Amino acid sequence: MNMPVQRLLRVGPGAAVGITEAMIHELVHAFYATVRADPALGPIFNRVIGDGWDDHLAKLCDFWSSVLLMTSRFKGAPMPAHIRIAEIRPTHFARWLHLFKQTAEQLCPPEAAALFVAKSEMIAQSLQFGIAASRGELPPLRPEPARTKQPSDSGVGR
Amino acid sequence: MTYVVTDNCIKCKFMDCVEVCPVDCFYAGENMLVISPDECIDCGVCEPECPADAIFPDTDPKATGEWLELNKTYADIWLNLTHKDPPPADAAAWNGVEGMRASFSPNPHVSEPRRVA
Repeated sequence: MNMPVQRLLRVGPGAAVGITEAMIHELVHAFYATVRADPALGPIFNRVIGDGWDDHLAKLCDFWSSVLLMTSRFKGAPMPAHIRIAEIRPTHFARWLHLFKQTAEQLCPPEAAALFVAKSEMIAQSLQFGIAASRGELPPLRPEPARTKQPSDSGVGR
Repeated sequence: MTYVVTDNCIKCKFMDCVEVCPVDCFYAGENMLVISPDECIDCGVCEPECPADAIFPDTDPKATGEWLELNKTYADIWLNLTHKDPPPADAAAWNGVEGMRASFSPNPHVSEPRRVA
C-alpha cells in the first residue's frame, strides 16, 4: 500500500473550514503567550515546561495539525502528562478554554474558530474525566444493566 | 469519556484508525482493535477514518456498555499497535455483516515483520 499517497489524501475536518498550518501556528503561539502571562495558568505551565517552550509549541502545532489536518505528526501522551500535574483543577480547564476561545475568535474566521473551540472543549472534558478517574473521583466503568431490546435492534431511539 | 470500537471491526480490522491516532491508544487483537478508554482523549480523528464505521463516541447508543467493557478489558491485555498492518485478505467481505460479536477472538494481533528501510 502506498502510504505517503494515502496520507496526502486524508482530509481532516479543518480543511472544510479553511484551517491551515499557518493558522495553527499563529493561534498556538498567540494563545500560549497569553497562557504564560495568565495569573492562574502561567505559574503551572511555566513550572512544568520550564525551558522547553520552543519544543512544546512545536509539539502543540503538531497536535492540532494531526487532529484537524490529519497529518499524523503528533505522537505523545497528553493524558498522563495532565494527570501528573497534581495542582490541576477544573477551574484551570475553564480558564484555558475561555482564553483559547477568545484567542481563536480574535485570530481565526468564525467557522475555523468554532472547530478549534469544539475540539478543545471535547478534549478538555476527556482530560478532566481522566484526571478525575486517576484521583479516584469517578466510579469504575461498568457494563449497563441487561437491555430489554433484542440485539438485532438498531441503535435508534435508545 | 472515550471512543469505542464496535462490532463491524471484527474480521475487517482495517487499521486505518491506528495511523491517525495522535495518542496511540489502539490495542490489537487477532481479528479486532480496541481503544484504551484511559488513554483516549476524544479528539475524534479515528471515527471518520474507519472504513467499516465501527468507531463511536461513548455518547452514541451503539457504544454500549458491553463494547465499552470489551475495549477496556482487551486494551489491558493486547499490545499497543502504532502502525497499520495489512488487513485480513477477506476484510471487505465482512464489512457490514451483522452479529460479529460471536466471532470475536481474544487472541492478540501478530504483526508482520517490518521491512528494514
